[in-house]
Amino acid sequence: MQINQFPEVMSSCRFCFMCRHLSAVGQVSGRESDTPRGRALIADRVRMHPEEIGNADFIEAVYRSDLSGANRFHCDSYHDGKGYDEIGLQLALRRDIVDAGFAPENVKQVAADLKATESWTVEGSGDVLYFVDPGTAARPSIEKAVKAVLGQAGITPAVIRGGCIGKALNVLGFAADAKAAMEKFAAVVNGTGAKVLLVSNPAAADALKCDFAAAGVPLVPEVKFTARYFVKLAEEGRLSFAGKTGVANYLPSDYLKNYLKCGCAKKLLALLGVQDRMFGTNVEESYTAGEGALVLDRLYPELVKMLAGKIAAQAEPDMPVIVASAYTAGALEAAGLKCTTLEEAAEADLCSLR
Amino acid sequence: MQLAKDNYMYQMVRCELVDAVGAEFVNSGAADGLGHSIDYYWIPEMWHDRGGEPQKPDFIVHPGSTEEVAKVMKIANQYKIPVTPWGGGSGSQGGALPIYGGIILDMKRMNRVIEIDTRTLSVTCETGINAQHLEWAVEKAGYSTMHFPASIACATIGGFLAHRGTGVLSTKYGKIEDMVMSLEVVTPTGEIIHTLPVPRHASGPDLTMLFLGSEGTLGVMTKVTLKIHPIPEARKFHAFLFPDMHTAMTAGAGLMHSRLQPCAVRLYDGPETARLIKRVLGIDREGAYLVFGFDGPEKVVDLQMERACEICRAAGPKEDLGTESGEAWWKNRYKFFYPPYMFHMPQAFGTLDTVATFSKIENVYWAMKHVVEENFPEATFIGHFSHWYDWGCMLYARFIFEKAPDDPAEAAALYNRVWDLAIRAAIREGGVINEHHGVGLKLGRLMKELYGPAMGVLEDIKKQLDPNNIMNPGKMGFKGV
Repeated sequence: MQINQFPEVMSSCRFCFMCRHLSAVGQVSGRESDTPRGRALIADRVRMHPEEIGNADFIEAVYRSDLSGANRFHCDSYHDGKGYDEIGLQLALRRDIVDAGFAPENVKQVAADLKATESWTVEGSGDVLYFVDPGTAARPSIEKAVKAVLGQAGITPAVIRGGCIGKALNVLGFAADAKAAMEKFAAVVNGTGAKVLLVSNPAAADALKCDFAAAGVPLVPEVKFTARYFVKLAEEGRLSFAGKTGVANYLPSDYLKNYLKCGCAKKLLALLGVQDRMFGTNVEESYTAGEGALVLDRLYPELVKMLAGKIAAQAEPDMPVIVASAYTAGALEAAGLKCTTLEEAAEADLCSLR
Repeated sequence: MQLAKDNYMYQMVRCELVDAVGAEFVNSGAADGLGHSIDYYWIPEMWHDRGGEPQKPDFIVHPGSTEEVAKVMKIANQYKIPVTPWGGGSGSQGGALPIYGGIILDMKRMNRVIEIDTRTLSVTCETGINAQHLEWAVEKAGYSTMHFPASIACATIGGFLAHRGTGVLSTKYGKIEDMVMSLEVVTPTGEIIHTLPVPRHASGPDLTMLFLGSEGTLGVMTKVTLKIHPIPEARKFHAFLFPDMHTAMTAGAGLMHSRLQPCAVRLYDGPETARLIKRVLGIDREGAYLVFGFDGPEKVVDLQMERACEICRAAGPKEDLGTESGEAWWKNRYKFFYPPYMFHMPQAFGTLDTVATFSKIENVYWAMKHVVEENFPEATFIGHFSHWYDWGCMLYARFIFEKAPDDPAEAAALYNRVWDLAIRAAIREGGVINEHHGVGLKLGRLMKELYGPAMGVLEDIKKQLDPNNIMNPGKMGFKGV
C-alpha cells in the first residue's frame, strides 16, 4: 500500500494534536475524523488491518478533507518538503482506496466527468500562452481581466482552453489517469512553442509546477501564476498600476501559501495599493472553503456551504474581499460574500488610471 | 443500559438524539469512533499501536447550544446511558475516553465568543472553543487571555476547566481556575444553572470551584466568563545555568519570595537540561537551566528583571546565559511538544506531575526519582519545575522507557506500576496526585489514598448531582457503571 511510504507521518500524526486548530472541516463538523490526527489514525488502522480499507465510513472521512495544507504548513517539524507530510499521507490513502476498488460512487462519478473533459483548444500564438482551466472559465471576468492587464503591457496572449490537466484526478486518487491527462496536456502545450504558460488557478499552478515534474512529464514553457507575472511585468517597467485600491481583506490561496509558499499575491496587492487587513482573527487558518481539495464542492456540497458560511460570518461589513482562486470566489459568493479575484483587482486598479 | 446496534432500543435512542441536535450531529461511524477511542493517554495509544480493538462510544453527539446539551442529558438520564464530555481530546489522563460506550458529548461545535467586555476586562464564550481560537479572538480586540499552555492549539477551554489546566504564564496570571469569573453548567439531570457572576464573594460556598476540575463527572460546563488582560508593553526573559538543581531551586524560590511577580519561571533538572534543552534550544551544558520572565510596562519589567538577576547571581549560578537563551526558550516553548521532540512510540512515557510547598518539593522530586530509578533501571527520569507560586511549585517529572513490552497487557502492567509507585511516593512526601493534567482514568484509583475520608464528601456530592451515575462514570475515582 502507498500509505506505507509515510510510516513516520502515521506514527507521529496519529497521536499528535498540535495542528487541530487549523482543521477547517473539523471546525465546522466537530468530528475527530475531520482532523489530521483522525485521518492519520484511520491510515494507521488500515496499515495494521488492510482489510479495513473498504470501510465506507473511513473512506468518507478521507474524502471529506479540504487538503488545505494549513496544518502541514503549521507543523514545527515540516520544512521545505521534509517532515510530517500529512497531505502526502492523505493522498496516498486515496490512491490506495482507488487501487483497491473502493472509490465511492460520488468520487467515481466526478472522476469520470473529469476524464471526459480531457481535450484542449488553442487560440492564437505567441510567447505567452494563457491557460483558461475549467475553474477559471466558470468566472469569465478573470480571463477578461488578465487580457486587459496584459494588454496594458502590450501582450496579446495565445489562449488554451479545456478540461482537467490531472490535478483533480490526482487529488481524488486516480494517479494513472492523472498522469495520462498530464501527458496529453503537455503534448498540446509543448506543441505551441510558447515560452510562458500563464495560469490564474492556483491549483493549476501547483500541478504544472510540481505534479508534472513529480510524474516525469516535461513542460517546455515556464509556468507563471498571473499575479507573479503581473509583478514581473511591473518590475520590468512594462506595467504601471495606480496603487489606489485601499483597505481590503486578502484571503490567501491554500496552493499559493501552503503548497507553493509563493508570496506573489502579497507583492501584487502592494502594487495595487491594497492595505491588507487581517481577515478573521489570524493568518494561519485556511479561508478558502476547500480550495485544496479542488472538487470538494462536488463531493460534499453541504460541507462546502458550512465552510463558506463560517468564513462569510467573519467578514467585516463593507470590507472588500480579495481572493486568489475562482473556486474560493464561487464558494464564498454562494454564501453571500462578494469577492474580487487578484486579476479582477488588478484590472480595476489599472482602470482607475484612466 | 447496554446498547447494541442490532437492538431496536439503539435506534429508539438514536431517534431521540437526532431530534435533540439534528441528524448531521449524531454520529456512530467507525471513523469518529476510532478518533474518540484514543486521547493523549499512553494506554489507549499503546492499545491502538498493538492493533487492539478500540473502546468506542455508541453515539457521538455534537450539540450546538446549551439547550441541546440539556436535551441530551435528559435523554441519557431517561435511559441511564453514560455520557462522556469531549473537548479537544488532548487530555493525557484518559478522562474523555468512553470506557462504558454510551454517548460522547463532543463540545467542539459550541465554539462561539459571546462577548468581550472591555470595561470589566472579561470574555464570555462557549466552552467548546479551541483555546488558540479564543486567544486569537481576544487578541484581535486588543487583549489576551494570558492562557498559553502547550496544548493551546489542541484543547478546548472546556477541557482546561474540566481538569484545572494551566499555561506557561501561570506564575503571574494564574491557572485556569484563577481566570474564571463564572460558569454556566448543565447538570447531569439536564438543568441549566449559573454560578455567581463574580469570583470573590461571601454568598455561600463557591459553586464555580466545585465544577472546575470535576472532569465531566458533575455536569457539563457550557459557557464561561474569563478574565482578560491588556497586552503588555514588554515581555522579557533571562536564563541562568546552575551547578545543580538544589541551587537553582534556591534561586527560583528566592524569586517567588521576593514577590517580584515573574510571569514565568521554569527550572530544568540536570538530565532534562542535558536532554531536551540541548535538543530543542541547542544549549549544550551540564547543570540545571533556570529561565524566568516578566511582563508589563517596559520600565517596570526592566527593574524587575534587574532585581531578579541579582537574586539569581547571589544564589551561585554556574553561568549567566543571558537574555538570548531566555528568549529562545520563550520562542520555542511549544516546540518541545511537537514530534519528533515529544516522546512517542515505541517509547513508554508519562508525566508524573505534582505540586508541593517549597519546603517539600525537592523531597518529592527525589522520592519520585529514586522510586522510578530503583524499580525500573531501564527507565529514564527527567523533570522540570514549571508553575510557581508564592508557597511552592509544580514538578513536571517524566519517566521514559525507550521500549515498552510488545504484549499490551504487560505494557499496561508496567506502565501502571510506575504510576502507582511514583505517585504514592509523591503523596508520602507532601505532594498530590496531579497539578494540572487531572486525574481521569489514569489516576482515579489513587484518589482515595490522596483524600482519605474526604473522598466520601466528593462521592456524596457526585451522588446528589448525578443520581443515575451517568456523567463520565469510572473516572476521577468515582464508581463505574
